[in-house]
Amino acid sequence: MAQRPVSLSYPTERLGTWLYEPVGSWMRVLRFAAITLVMASSPATYDRTMRRVAARQIYLSAWQALPGFALACVVVGFVLMRIIIGTAHEYGFSQYAVELTVRWLVLELFPLLAALFVALRSGAAICARVALMHTHGELDAVGRPGSDALRHCLVPRAIGSAVAVAALTAFGCALALGLAYEATYGLSPWGVGQFLRISGQVLGPVMVLGLALKTLLFGLAVAAIPITTALSIPREPGFVPLALRRAMMRLALALVTLEIAFLGVMYA
Amino acid sequence: MPEPSRIAEEEGGTASDRGVEFKATLLLVLTLALVVAFAGYVLYARGTFESTRRLVLMASNSEGVSVGADLTFSGFPVGRVKRIDLAPNGQARIEIDIPEKDVRWLRSNSVFTLERGLVGGARLRAFTGDLDDAPLPDGAVRPVLRGDTTDELPELIANTNRVLANIERMTAADSSLNASIASARALVQRMTGDRGALSALLGSDEEAAKVLVAVERANRLLATLDRLATRVDALTQQAAGTLEKADARVFGDGGLLDETRRTAAQLTALLEDARGTLKKIDAVLVEAQRVGANAGDASEDLAALRAEVETSLRRAGRLIDEIDRKWPFPRDTELRLP
Repeated sequence: MAQRPVSLSYPTERLGTWLYEPVGSWMRVLRFAAITLVMASSPATYDRTMRRVAARQIYLSAWQALPGFALACVVVGFVLMRIIIGTAHEYGFSQYAVELTVRWLVLELFPLLAALFVALRSGAAICARVALMHTHGELDAVGRPGSDALRHCLVPRAIGSAVAVAALTAFGCALALGLAYEATYGLSPWGVGQFLRISGQVLGPVMVLGLALKTLLFGLAVAAIPITTALSIPREPGFVPLALRRAMMRLALALVTLEIAFLGVMYA
Repeated sequence: MPEPSRIAEEEGGTASDRGVEFKATLLLVLTLALVVAFAGYVLYARGTFESTRRLVLMASNSEGVSVGADLTFSGFPVGRVKRIDLAPNGQARIEIDIPEKDVRWLRSNSVFTLERGLVGGARLRAFTGDLDDAPLPDGAVRPVLRGDTTDELPELIANTNRVLANIERMTAADSSLNASIASARALVQRMTGDRGALSALLGSDEEAAKVLVAVERANRLLATLDRLATRVDALTQQAAGTLEKADARVFGDGGLLDETRRTAAQLTALLEDARGTLKKIDAVLVEAQRVGANAGDASEDLAALRAEVETSLRRAGRLIDEIDRKWPFPRDTELRLP
């Protein structure tokens, strides 16, 4: 058995490797997200195969998830709104109940819920599938000139996931506005004017732009992190579960970080 | 050996794929419609499509006011803060958009207040006393009256502290209130004594006894005065009888008044006689004056004569002196003292 040569630089190398790996993996995430963004904004990307793969991804991630997501939104939103409105009435802050519900459900909770829904439902599946393709060498051509692997396999899935996050967020926000109105005024039409005014106050230009940017970043995170994590493992089938675990952890970390950053910028 | 390429699988199309594509497209269209509707909803909710008038409120402090805050009238929002900046005179300039449909609630005489509660943002309120007054012109500038609960808190707490300190001083063992209560207790004890309230008022039983003696004396004096008044009444009656008699004597027929009238008539006749006599005396006096004037003229001649005599006498005197000097006769000129 050959003895490992003693080297004074061994701890330094370990430290460099320990620092390099996370930074490198996040850099790969950013690079893939940039590629996805650029290709998504280029009309030449959308050939027939790419459209079919992207449509299938949207179907799997958003269409099939929509009933479950709507049910989850209704249940969670209803419970939270009852808590918020009841507490506001109890402490004499009824005038702020609508503002609180709109602010928390439309701007904060449902976008995050949509991203988590797509990440848990499709992100894990995409990660496993890409990891398997990677271990089988089917994606070797990725990055080579003239290769269609990136355009026909990875980017459509990423675009599909991002679009799914945006679609579920849009449905969730519409549902949240309806639920907030019903919880506050019931089915009476006389509260429409006041509800419009209060929600108009909450949904200022900065808040709406922040919501759009947050949704885009959530979509890119859900799209890029599972794919890049799957591509970063050694080509052995035994590493596929590891890729899944890493992808989910990184995704959760990224979503929480984005949400905290958004809260900090908007409310600090 | 890798499996047959999944990418190649995905490049093939099936009937089910076309259904998937349709659903995905439908979802995309719905999502886009929702996004557009959401944008329209936000723009409408923020009053972008409303025709508005501008109202400018000048406040000493705009703390708590935010862009988008409501201006309320009778609890209903009639305007929305559009912009807040600092005016050249150092005041806060709050620009408010009033929708045309709500302009009628604001008149030239409207008053605007800015109130800050303990919780929440500041509240802008409008009060209109006369809704028939002239409408508020576009771009009108009005001052804002501030009613700040938190501003009044320090003063309220200071007043409360003062009241509590006063109560503490009042309830202290050596406080004026306690001394007053003790004095009141002593007063009540005296009032329940033999001399009653009189002793409490005068401070001692001796003084109260003196007052009682004085009261008895006063009673006796009053009895004497009563008797005196009875006598005075009798005297008054006698005087009235006397007056009646005097009246008959003076003013009755043949009374003193008639006698006086007759005497006056006689006096008038006497005065007429006296006036005639005086006229005669006047004539006599005129004559006497004439005689007097003649006597005056005679007196002037006598004076001239007298002057001449005196001159002759002085000459005779000087002649005698001359003779005495020139003809000496013995004379005794020596002065002898006694």
